[in-house]
Amino acid sequence: MRSIYLVARRDYLGYVQAWGFWLGLLLTPILMGVGMMAPTWAANSQPTRYYTVIEQGTEFADALRAELQEDRIALVRMTLDPVGVLNGEPSDKLLAFDDAIDAGSTVEAALEAAGGAQVSLPQADFVAVAPPATDEDSIRPYLMGERLVETSEGPQPLFAAIFVPEDNGEIEYWSENVTSRTLLDQVRAAERKITERKVFEAAGVSPRILNEAEKQRRDITERRARPASSDSGSQVTMADRAPFIASVFMAFLLWFLIFSVVNYLLMGTIEERSNKIFDSLLTSVKLPHMLAGKLLAVLAVALTLMMVWAIGGSVIGTALSGQMPADIRESMFSVAGAVLKPSLLMPAILSFVLGYLMYGAVFLALGSLCDTIQEAQTLMTPLIVMLMVPMFMIVVAISDPESPILSVMSWIPVFTPFLLILRVPTHPPLWEVIGLLVLMVVAALVVLWLASRVYRAGAVHGAGVGDVGKWFSKMLPGKKGETG
Amino acid sequence: MSVHPLEMRSVTKRFGFFTAVRDLSLTVPQGSIVGFLGPNGAGKSTSLRMSLGVLSPDEGQVRLFGGAPDIDTLKRVGFLPEERGLYKKMSPRAIISYFARLKGMSASDSRKRADELLEVMGLGNFGRSRISKLSKGMAQKVQILSALAHRPDFLILDEPFSGLDPVNQQGLEDMIIEEHKRGATILFSTHVMEHAERLCDSIVMMARGRKVFDGTLDQAFGALGRAALIGVEDGYDLNAAISPKGFTENELAGDHWRVSLPAQYDAQDALRAAIEAGAPITSFRPEEARLRDVFVSLVSEAEAEDLEKTLATRKATEAA
Repeated sequence: MRSIYLVARRDYLGYVQAWGFWLGLLLTPILMGVGMMAPTWAANSQPTRYYTVIEQGTEFADALRAELQEDRIALVRMTLDPVGVLNGEPSDKLLAFDDAIDAGSTVEAALEAAGGAQVSLPQADFVAVAPPATDEDSIRPYLMGERLVETSEGPQPLFAAIFVPEDNGEIEYWSENVTSRTLLDQVRAAERKITERKVFEAAGVSPRILNEAEKQRRDITERRARPASSDSGSQVTMADRAPFIASVFMAFLLWFLIFSVVNYLLMGTIEERSNKIFDSLLTSVKLPHMLAGKLLAVLAVALTLMMVWAIGGSVIGTALSGQMPADIRESMFSVAGAVLKPSLLMPAILSFVLGYLMYGAVFLALGSLCDTIQEAQTLMTPLIVMLMVPMFMIVVAISDPESPILSVMSWIPVFTPFLLILRVPTHPPLWEVIGLLVLMVVAALVVLWLASRVYRAGAVHGAGVGDVGKWFSKMLPGKKGETG
Repeated sequence: MSVHPLEMRSVTKRFGFFTAVRDLSLTVPQGSIVGFLGPNGAGKSTSLRMSLGVLSPDEGQVRLFGGAPDIDTLKRVGFLPEERGLYKKMSPRAIISYFARLKGMSASDSRKRADELLEVMGLGNFGRSRISKLSKGMAQKVQILSALAHRPDFLILDEPFSGLDPVNQQGLEDMIIEEHKRGATILFSTHVMEHAERLCDSIVMMARGRKVFDGTLDQAFGALGRAALIGVEDGYDLNAAISPKGFTENELAGDHWRVSLPAQYDAQDALRAAIEAGAPITSFRPEEARLRDVFVSLVSEAEAEDLEKTLATRKATEAA
């Protein structure tokens, strides 16, 4: 045990003293934060675009403005009360906002009515301006930026012009930008609404009756036979969804761990091979102890990273919790509570450990065969492709955790650690959970055995990338092993 | 009866169709310094790796301190591999301490020992530098120190002198002598015969995977045979002159004759025979046998034998 500790300690200190470790420690949360905020930033950073509608009257322009406003309404509703929007249980604030919108208020006014002072309203993407000209030839210079239209931001180029003829002729959408389809889609939606309204009116149904019908729609309450919390009866609450969210989170965490930190194993072993340290090591420590030490060191690196991130996240979370709406805070506690439940935590920890051992051993073995990173990349490619599959399965599990494809693929040993975690909240039969755990244990042992043989071939006999094929043909039991 | 640090009995190791070591038997007695000599590809490193259990023999038996090589017995051994290598980002002090701890020393003892050894080897100022910042010679010294830091009973050094300048080679020789005085048994392989001549109690010579000699230095010189080198005036046939006096194996070697000495005669007897024969002698000196000559002679013999065997096998195959 002492030699395992010494190998693990040396490797661990070697990893955490490298600048790459600190870079990963700091950059990973920053990049993840940037990734999460990027869509919002992109939306906010997009400049306001100006369009004009050339028509008799304002019917089409009004319909288009209403369509464009719907996106902003959805965004504000989500910001005001995300849990209420998702659960269909709107808060008073959300109800006040909806009422104001129904009464014909602008988004800004409705937000004011809801008292949503904490919500910073995103700027509108598209703003209508008065037509600077009424025929196509005269409007063309504005679209080409040769002439500018007057706006609240000062003179700006015209993004699009929509010509709506008086008769039932074709509506023409003019713009120099052929890649952004948002406004064009909203123009189509506005035309559809106008047509529907006209058809209903022709049939004697007024828009007021249609709105009334919409309001009389009955609510649908979601219930389940096996509720997570007895407090809420059979009604589905956040406590019911939390295990699914937690399992996706944990499966992603395992995937992220394997994908990012086991590279340390590969690089560390390549360093030892290229620096010719194996003989010194193998006369000082048993091979299984050396492998165990190396796996433990990288696991400790991973746990260090996660612990630092968790502490950092907790500190930031605590600092921000005062500003966080109570229902969001409760939802987060609910997910955290689901993670800590033994029924999810135990299979997850086992999957985590066995999955890490399995993939870690493979990376160690590959490293022992390579003198350079370039050689390692040759062998890594199939592994990386294989590691992408669980990522796709996580996406499947988000929409349908009981998908048959998850059940089938969970029996493929290389995917079992990820997919068992994802399947646990769906309450698979006990025999299946035990079977998958046994499969993982057996697979991990087989992989460790094979990996130690490959490692010995690389470390002792100097086998290289070119020998992989030959080695696999000889790896069947029967050949006398070396001591150590 | 004390147990020998190393015994190899009829050990053979093959890599595919290539036999790297064939039927090797040797004993390294307690307290001895044994030189392991042989040209490149003779099987020295493979034999040393088998002695440590890094490789397993296909046939035969290896006994390290009386048992099969395992991590417990290896704690009594210090090993310097032929292929040198260290963790480049670690400091000499940390590396020496790390390997000493792996061999069973405590953390504080290992650090003290590392400081002491680095000081002795003149690397005291570099104890905390990265290995990558040191010269190749310095790094090699660090590796040697990490092999002996735990005060092993048995030191196995594979080509310890290669890569060191003459001053550091002398330093290493001194260190080997010091370790021997401390009580360590030492087995080292080398190409440099002078080191073996100066240091070894006995030598083992290998050629083409086979042991061609195993014995003391005196026995090695005896294997080569003794001779007297006698210079005569041009054109004089010394062989014809002294053959009747019992010196029958003589050959002209440049400007002198090499007179092989039969067991009952010495160099002075050969000189006396030449004077009595009236030879016009211009120079005389007894031949000083060098280990290098023994080595070249034995290795050439082994290679010639191998060549003969190969030719015989080929002929037999062709005939069949």
